[in-house]
Amino acid sequence: MNPSANNRTEQMEIDASAKWPVLVFFAYGLGWLLLGGIMQLAAAMQLHSPGFLAGCEWTTHGRLAPAAQNALVYGWGMNAAFAFGLWLMARLSATTLRHGGWLFIAAKFWNTGVALGVGGILAGYSTSFELLEMPRFVSLLLLAAYALVGVWAITTFSIRNTENVYASQWYVFGAAFWFPWLYAIAQVMLFKAPVRGVLQPVVNAWYVHGLYNLWFVPMALAAAYYFLPKLLGKPVSNYYLASLAFWWLVVTSAFAGGSRLIGAPVPVWIPTMGIAANILVVVGVIIIAINLFGTLSGRFEAARSSLTLRFILISIVSFILAAVMNLALSMRGFAATVQFTLLDGLRDWLTFYACFSTAMFGAAYFILPRLTGKEWRSGALIKLHFGATALGVLLMVVGLTYAGWTQGNMLNNAAMPFTDITKAMSFWFAFRTVVLGLLLLGHVAFLLNFVWIACPINSQSTASATLRTPPALSLEGHA
Amino acid sequence: MKNGLALFLGVFATLALSWAGLLLTAHKQIGSLSQFKDPADETLYPQPLSGLANQGRLVYQDLGCVSCHTQQVRQQGFGNDLAEGRKWGERGSYARDYIRDETVLIGQNRIGPDLRNVGSRLGDAKAEEYAQWFYKLLYAPQSVAAGTNMPAHPFLFDVHPVAGRQPSPHALMLPSKFAPGPGREVVPTSRAIALVAYLQSLKDTYDYPIERSRNTPAPKEAGH
Repeated sequence: MNPSANNRTEQMEIDASAKWPVLVFFAYGLGWLLLGGIMQLAAAMQLHSPGFLAGCEWTTHGRLAPAAQNALVYGWGMNAAFAFGLWLMARLSATTLRHGGWLFIAAKFWNTGVALGVGGILAGYSTSFELLEMPRFVSLLLLAAYALVGVWAITTFSIRNTENVYASQWYVFGAAFWFPWLYAIAQVMLFKAPVRGVLQPVVNAWYVHGLYNLWFVPMALAAAYYFLPKLLGKPVSNYYLASLAFWWLVVTSAFAGGSRLIGAPVPVWIPTMGIAANILVVVGVIIIAINLFGTLSGRFEAARSSLTLRFILISIVSFILAAVMNLALSMRGFAATVQFTLLDGLRDWLTFYACFSTAMFGAAYFILPRLTGKEWRSGALIKLHFGATALGVLLMVVGLTYAGWTQGNMLNNAAMPFTDITKAMSFWFAFRTVVLGLLLLGHVAFLLNFVWIACPINSQSTASATLRTPPALSLEGHA
Repeated sequence: MKNGLALFLGVFATLALSWAGLLLTAHKQIGSLSQFKDPADETLYPQPLSGLANQGRLVYQDLGCVSCHTQQVRQQGFGNDLAEGRKWGERGSYARDYIRDETVLIGQNRIGPDLRNVGSRLGDAKAEEYAQWFYKLLYAPQSVAAGTNMPAHPFLFDVHPVAGRQPSPHALMLPSKFAPGPGREVVPTSRAIALVAYLQSLKDTYDYPIERSRNTPAPKEAGH
């Protein structure tokens, strides 16, 4: 057997070991993506049609909006990251994913926790702290379930059969530790032994920024560093810079949380440190861009022909845009205008949806056929999903940037009565609903394809023969 | 990078440093801010919330009001919160204002107005009249703020027939367009009463001399 065939057999073994855990996490994730998307759409509608679902306490805007966000972040985002992270760790560590049974239990517990949390918010047990709204009792369940997932990611890493540790592994490994620490610290400092006064928003900002930038962004970058060289059959260009980029990015991002509190009643060094960190983050982003776009250069045609890479491309561009947005919102003059507007919300949407979620879509389109041995059922649905995502991201970024700028100028125009602002913004609230609807349509298309490929009943698995093997490339040789 | 242990230590140090650098340092600096005793009237500020208002804070929290409302007035020179017309406070908010709040929800969305000083926007109205205004806003927002996109909160009110019972002195006086129909009255529930008490308690009217000097930007020096 030649080495590449050997390699292929090994990969199939790894995929087989990861099949059910990955499918289960993705299935849960997609369920939440749909449910959270519907709730998000309803909450968005309430901003321009305030009577919609207002009569019922459970669906009043103040509960529906955070419930939707929690369902998307902890339901879709975390499950998708678990699925992708575990699979990638096994592949890159060249070892099978063991103890799948524990992962099923973890998946059950995690999703029970999210369901109780989202239900708790709707029922009125919200804590009202951003992304920590879930009732307190849920946090222990989530942490325990997370421990069961994280421990296998780390175990897989520690029994790796490779000599080198590849860039994607640094990101997944780091994220695997950062999330539980961030979450546990935030829980202790806000609920168990609450800090006083404005320290609470400081802890909250630190957590939110950490969750987005030390958990979701690393997962997206792990996907980019893995799929680009793999599918283009070309090593990452200037790979020796990747470790510098990693440390630079994560250390600076970890300090950038204070930038969310510009103008807030906190000691002024807190936002100032965040602003400085956000400026420094740019260096890391530039190096990563050199790595990733350098790899892409001259291969754009090849990248365009791969569905996975098209999603990854949206993710990389959004990663850069999110950094630009963070930087812009750190500029005091700009922040004074657009703070508290739709533009402020766009920053996190860019990170979570446009950067992280699209990377997970791309990964899923690569992983799932390999795990199930089946091909995607409907090309039209794939086109619909990609088209909706690409158009949605574009419309959201352009539309909400303009809308947020307008809203900010109106808010700062003291002569303009508040209800006039609301009336003027009504169009943009409706615009946002339409774009969220478009994205949801893409998600439905993806879900239909997923159900087909993941469902064990229709076993028309003729497709594995037609699965295109990516160009041979050993990722080990890099570090 | 080959060494798993070095990677772990780096990962650990990253978060540990940011925790110590940001949260621990901030805690050391303002974690034990205390009330200020005004030398003239010997009163401690900020004054604690009343029990009812504190219950209202929980209602504010469970209904997720923070999704659309901030509670922070930005200082002069940053944004336009203090300008005539908007006037979201007499002054910018200080860290010390918040030590009376058990949960501090400064918010990050101004889909609705800032509420940090909503309790002091009385005008000439009496406290009871102002409470009525809040009840109407919560029950039928359009009845007092035409064109707003604030959702109605009918679940905070009891709507029942008047027949056979004493009319409630707390019933809302609604324009007929928003009233539930003849022979029925709208009475705030205990949650609505607590929430309105909380909203009325939101006013940072006392200006701390020490904070004022700290938060006023230094005067610009004239050019040489």
